[in-house]
Amino acid sequence: MKQFDVLVVDDEAEFRDLTVKILNKRGINARGAESGEQAMEILRHALIDVVLLDVKMPGIDGIETLRQIRIQNPLVEVVLLTGHASVESGIEGMKLGAFDYLMKPIELDPLLEKLSFAYEKKRLHQEKIELAQMKKHMAMPS
Amino acid sequence: MRNVFSAIKNMFFAPPPPKRSPEELRAAFARRYAHFRSLLTANNNALQAMAELEKVYYSGESYRMAVVRSKINTILVNVYKMIRGLREMAGGRYTELEEIFDKISCELSGIIERKPEFRDGPFILPLGEVTRRDREQVGEKMANLGELSAIPSLLVPPGFVVTATATRRFLTGTHIDEINRRLQTLDPDDMDGLYRACSEIKKMIIDSPLPAELEEMLVAGYRSLEEKNGPGCLVALRSSGLGEDSAGVSFAGLYRTILDVDRERLTTAYKEVVAGKYGARAIAYRRKRGYRHEDIEMCVGCLAMVDAVVSGVTYSRVPGGEEAEVMSINAVKGVGRGVVDGIAATDFFLLARNPPYSVVRQELGHGAFKNEHNLAEPILNTEQLRLLAEKAIVIETYFGEPQDIEWSFAVDGTLNILQSRPMMRPDPAAKKETIPAPAAHAEGELPFLTGGVCAAAGIASGQVFHVNSDEEMRTFPNGAMLVLEHPLPEWAPLVSRAAAVIAETGSEAGHLATISREFGIPALFGVSGVRQRLVQGDIITINSQAKSLYHGVREDLLSQRGVKRDIMAGSPVQRILTEALQLITPLNLNDPTSLQFKSSWCETLHDITRFCHEKSVAEMFTLGRGSHFDPGGAKRLVGDVPLEWWVIDLADGFKPGVANEAGTIRIDEIVSEPMLAIWQGISAYPWQGPPPISAKGFGSIIFQSAMRPDIDPSVATPLTTKNYFLISANFCNLSVRLGYHYAMIEAYLSDLLTESYVTFRFKGGAADTRRKAVRAKLLAEILQHYGFRVELRSDALLARVKKQSAEYLRERLRILGYLTLHARQLDMVMTQPQAVERYRQKFRQEIDAMLAIDAPVQEYSSGG
Repeated sequence: MKQFDVLVVDDEAEFRDLTVKILNKRGINARGAESGEQAMEILRHALIDVVLLDVKMPGIDGIETLRQIRIQNPLVEVVLLTGHASVESGIEGMKLGAFDYLMKPIELDPLLEKLSFAYEKKRLHQEKIELAQMKKHMAMPS
Repeated sequence: MRNVFSAIKNMFFAPPPPKRSPEELRAAFARRYAHFRSLLTANNNALQAMAELEKVYYSGESYRMAVVRSKINTILVNVYKMIRGLREMAGGRYTELEEIFDKISCELSGIIERKPEFRDGPFILPLGEVTRRDREQVGEKMANLGELSAIPSLLVPPGFVVTATATRRFLTGTHIDEINRRLQTLDPDDMDGLYRACSEIKKMIIDSPLPAELEEMLVAGYRSLEEKNGPGCLVALRSSGLGEDSAGVSFAGLYRTILDVDRERLTTAYKEVVAGKYGARAIAYRRKRGYRHEDIEMCVGCLAMVDAVVSGVTYSRVPGGEEAEVMSINAVKGVGRGVVDGIAATDFFLLARNPPYSVVRQELGHGAFKNEHNLAEPILNTEQLRLLAEKAIVIETYFGEPQDIEWSFAVDGTLNILQSRPMMRPDPAAKKETIPAPAAHAEGELPFLTGGVCAAAGIASGQVFHVNSDEEMRTFPNGAMLVLEHPLPEWAPLVSRAAAVIAETGSEAGHLATISREFGIPALFGVSGVRQRLVQGDIITINSQAKSLYHGVREDLLSQRGVKRDIMAGSPVQRILTEALQLITPLNLNDPTSLQFKSSWCETLHDITRFCHEKSVAEMFTLGRGSHFDPGGAKRLVGDVPLEWWVIDLADGFKPGVANEAGTIRIDEIVSEPMLAIWQGISAYPWQGPPPISAKGFGSIIFQSAMRPDIDPSVATPLTTKNYFLISANFCNLSVRLGYHYAMIEAYLSDLLTESYVTFRFKGGAADTRRKAVRAKLLAEILQHYGFRVELRSDALLARVKKQSAEYLRERLRILGYLTLHARQLDMVMTQPQAVERYRQKFRQEIDAMLAIDAPVQEYSSGG
């Protein structure tokens, strides 16, 4: 698997730390954030490819965090994490542009699969943009 | 028809797309292909979740609301992804799908999130004023007792009911949300977690203060009892659930009853009974029977204590057919707990149901009274038995059905009725199980042990597993024989997972007996010394009606089993799922060539998936309007080939020198290893369906099927459907639609074992669900035989091989190629078992013969 960077956002410390540890063991650069606010702060400075985001958190919740991520870091892909989500919150997240969602308790294989697919999508998206930029530069020789 | 023609027209005569560089084209293709792949993944996930949902619905097994919710969520999200994927592929068209989707998902969440409606009433109702009409305030148990207290010939202890309105006042929405949050994040199989969560919830409830006005009312109620029964009188607090004790669902013994409560303990005891709703046993039971926690409301009856000399349980009509014209009485000294908990050895009486209610049989327990000559004497005298029988008939007549009655004789000799509920009767369908004991073992060995009381009739086999502790309870394997000392209600969560229940003590009147009957699990109680005779891990067969235990698995007995009842029948969760499925699984968009194959005809989520899938294939591969692809992208495979195949090269799948603009390709120009392997399987044996289609014949067949709209769709469709290979040197994705089957093979062959895989998906067919499932099962068996790891959900099949050598994977691909083409033959014969068997043989023989011929990939040439 290619190396990429994941941010795990969950107020539940036990779950967050365990997930980070497991992902690191699998060769993914993962780190944790305990709130939406902290996640936004990290995203301002660090290079993150995929965010694993819990929907239900105190403070700004997952859906609101997702909304902010779409504005601040539109290229970053988000996988939502729901505990006992109502039917709407899954769909709402998808409509706001989340890549996918997982239900707690999560299993490792689907988690790894979704994260790497999300990364793959981000990579393709980025390539497309780079290609377009290259074309622009070449079309306008300075 | 116009659509078909315009599609063809676009395909061949499309205006040249804007000029783009090869890199741009490839990047555009890669993006579109990525959308297509993720759309297909979403499609598979949605269909799989639908199949799983249908499977749980039709299985007759129990399922939880959390499962329903999570599956529906999975379906919704994946369907939404498909719509999003299709819209991205189609440059933003198909907006209307989003509206249809929103409408359906909105309706669905209305169904799923629907809360039971409650009317509010007073906090407290005196028992004497309660009738059946107050059920929604006082619960089933207290409503029945209220009715009985109004009958002059019956004596019911005085008391009052703390209503559901009071409970709602005490446990507010915030509490309930917090409780549900804790329960829903639990893994259903994690018993430790469940017990931990339950004790936390219980603590939370007991620590919550009672609202002042409620506490006032509670104390006022108690005062009015003191006025009748003297100051400082003791009371019993009994749970009375809403929806509890209705026919078929007993909730027997799952909730709390607290005896000998005084004024001081009243508040805490009330909270404890309310908290009893969240006992681990009660939660496990509701999950099994399809009740959401919000479907049950806990009311609390507060009754003056009876100073009991003898207590017991009367069944006004004995359960289990043969002795139907008798009633049974189980009695013990003191309060009745020993009977319902199954601990005490009881005195047991069978009485005629008509006056003078003579004793048909009596069995005196070990705890029986001894007279001065040290001889056992019945705990109840003739006069008491007659009184019990008389009252049982009064109560049965009043409610119009056989009753399970709890009672106590007080010190003053009065008979107090404490509870009455409809009896759990075995399902009429299970009546076939009445097998006389001698005939039952005529064919084989005699039983090694007989005796005890049949608490629930049935035949089952399984591995002996002794349970004496919580620890053993947690490790109890599904489908094992549960062997107990006492049939305590604590073991109830194990009953539904057990093959049968065997206990040293107990009678048919205990809670565990009730629950066993309810789940249709055979139970044999009161078999003394049984625990020493049963060795942990031994396989035994039980026929509880014949009170017999046999060594090993006795197929001769098991074959006489009746049908197990659907334990979810009529439950709130089943009702929700029934309604929800109506918006999910029916398929109205059957035929892609039909005029009704339009987004506006999508009524269910299944319709949307079908529509998106069909249109995405069109977007991906047809060279119609809005396409940005190199017209040479899809090439028709020509030569001696059955059906219609198109090939799209993603990278290095063709021999160097194949012209980009060529519209056709020959098999010997292809160098994609996985595609060649699949093709060997496809071409190994001649196609048994309609003859190969020549380019000339193609149009005429479309014309023919268009002229005959009534033509069998399973025949018409394959002729109008194209099958696509997407290839690179090491990769191949083949989508095949044959009739209504949808099959997909995907493979990546690499020198690195960890990267290599072969996946096969198969779904559908124009047959009813049962026939589809038979076909999928046959395919699954064949694939398993050849080393595939197979998951089968209803008629959706997923087979995988991973991390194997390229040579091994090529062989699997040949097998898949063969099956993909020939599985269609199964359509016509799926109703005939012999034919199924014949095809199994034929497939296996042909595959073996095919694999025996070594066909090195590099030297493969067409027409072989």
